[in-house]
Amino acid sequence: MNRVVVTGIGVVSPIGSTREKFWSGLVEARSGIGPIMGIPTDRLNIRIAAEVRDFDPAQHFDSKRVGLLDRFSQFAVVAARAAVQDAQLDITEEIALGAATIVGNGAGGMNTLDDSYFKLYAQNATRAHPLSIPRLMANAACSLISMDLGLKGPTFTIASACASGTHAIGQAFQMVRTGMAQVALAGGTEACITVGTIKGWEALRVMSADTCRPFSRTRSGLVLGEGAAIFVLEPRERAVARGAPIYGELKGFGMSADANDITAIDPGGAARAIRAALMDAKVNPEDVDYVNAHGTGTSLNDKGETIALRKAFGDSAENLAVSSSKGVLGHSLGAAGALEFAATALAVHHQIIPPTANFEEPDPDCDLDYVPNTARNAPIEIAMSSSFAFGGLNAVLVLGRA
Amino acid sequence: MSDQAAVAKPVAIIDDVRTIVAKSLNIPVEQLTPQTRLDELGAESLDVIEIVFGLEEKFDITVPLKAEDATRLAAADKAGGQEMPFSTVGDVAEMVEKLVAAKTTKAAQ
Repeated sequence: MNRVVVTGIGVVSPIGSTREKFWSGLVEARSGIGPIMGIPTDRLNIRIAAEVRDFDPAQHFDSKRVGLLDRFSQFAVVAARAAVQDAQLDITEEIALGAATIVGNGAGGMNTLDDSYFKLYAQNATRAHPLSIPRLMANAACSLISMDLGLKGPTFTIASACASGTHAIGQAFQMVRTGMAQVALAGGTEACITVGTIKGWEALRVMSADTCRPFSRTRSGLVLGEGAAIFVLEPRERAVARGAPIYGELKGFGMSADANDITAIDPGGAARAIRAALMDAKVNPEDVDYVNAHGTGTSLNDKGETIALRKAFGDSAENLAVSSSKGVLGHSLGAAGALEFAATALAVHHQIIPPTANFEEPDPDCDLDYVPNTARNAPIEIAMSSSFAFGGLNAVLVLGRA
Repeated sequence: MSDQAAVAKPVAIIDDVRTIVAKSLNIPVEQLTPQTRLDELGAESLDVIEIVFGLEEKFDITVPLKAEDATRLAAADKAGGQEMPFSTVGDVAEMVEKLVAAKTTKAAQ
C-alpha cells in the first residue's frame, strides 16, 4: 500500500483563483458572497450568491476552443492546470498512461442547459447549438481535463450532490494507495448559478436572503456558490524522491448512506462516515485537531452535524476545533467538498485554522468550538474534511501533516 | 349577496386545501376535516413544502415558510416549543384565506 500525499492544489473560487488569494481570503474571513452579477435577477427572490468574479475564459482558452467548455469545465481545467504546475509535475507518457482523473460535480453544464432551454422554450428557437450536448454532459469537466493535460488512465465523474468532490478525492486516494493509478488529478467543480437552478433552490426554502452564517444562532440558510478545486495526489515515495512540495498526507476515507431522508441530514449516517474515515486512517478521535465541517448555514444541517460530531468523537468533541468555510465560499455543491479539502490541506500546511465567517452568536443547539470569525494558530497533526449530501450520501477525508 | 360570499369563500378554500393535502399525501380527501393534524397524517418536511407549493400555485399567493418550519410541522421532528404557522388542515385554510384577502386588498389599493 502506498502512502498518498497531496502535492498540488489548484483552485477557482469566489475569493480568488490562485492558491494564495484563496487562503488569505479564508484566513481573513473575507466573504465572497454578494449581489448576483452574472445572470438577470428580476425573477429571483434570492439575489445573492458567491460567484467567481475574476475569471476571464479568454485568458485561459483560445477563441476556437472556448466554445466547447461550459463554465463548470472551464473552472475544472484551469484548476487542474494550476494543480499540476503547483506540484511541479512533469507529465511524461509513462505517467500519463497511469494517471487517473476523477472529478466530482453535482450537476453538469447547467449554464449551457439553461441558455439552450431559454432559447428553445422562451425565444422559440428551432435548433440548439451543436455543442450543447458535449458542453453540458456531466463528464465534460473530467474529459476536458484529461484532454487538456493528456492524462490517459482511469477517468470518470462522480455525482453525489454536495459530497461529489469529497467522494472523487476519496476514490482517487484509494486508487493511488493501491497502485491502481500512479498519480491522480482529483477534485470537484460546479457552476450552476443560473435562473433555473436558483428557482429550484428557492422552492426548497433553505436559502438565505442576506448571507451564510454557519453554526450561528442567527443563521438563515445557505447561499449558493461556484468554483473548482483540483489536487495532484501521488505516492509519498515518489513525491519525496522528486522533491515535490507536500501539503499533507491523505490518511483515510469514510463513506456512508443514511438510507433515510432525501434532503435532511441524518446525524447517525454522518457519524458512521466520520468513524469509517477515522478507522481507515487508523486514527483515534482524540488525535483529530481540526474538522472542516460541512456547515451549510441551514438550521437543520448545523444542528444535525453538531450531533453527528458529538456521536462520532464522544468526549474528545470538546477539544475539537471545527470551522465551516461556507460563510466565505458559499455552497458550491459538487465543488464544495473539494474547495473545503483545499482549505483543510492549507490549514494543515500553514498550521492555521481558518475561521467560521459571519458568526454572530452561539446557538445552544450548536455547542462546539467553531473558531468564530478569527483565524487561529494551532498545531494541526490530523485534520478532517466532511461532506453530507442531499440524498443522504456522506463522505469524509482525513489528512495528516506532511 | 355579500353575506353569501362571505360564507361561500372559506368553504371553497377549505375544499381546495383538502384536495391539495390529500393529493400530496396520497390519502382519500374524505379523511380530512378542518381538525386533522398534518403530523398525524405522516407528512414529512418535503410533503409540507410540496403542499405549500400547491397552495401558492392554486391561490397565487406567497407563503413565508422555511424548511425548518416544515420539518417541525412534520411527523419526523417533535422538537416542539416553537409557535407553528399552522398544524391542522383548518389552520392551513385560515392562513390561505388571510393571504388571499391580503392580496385582494393590495390589488384594490
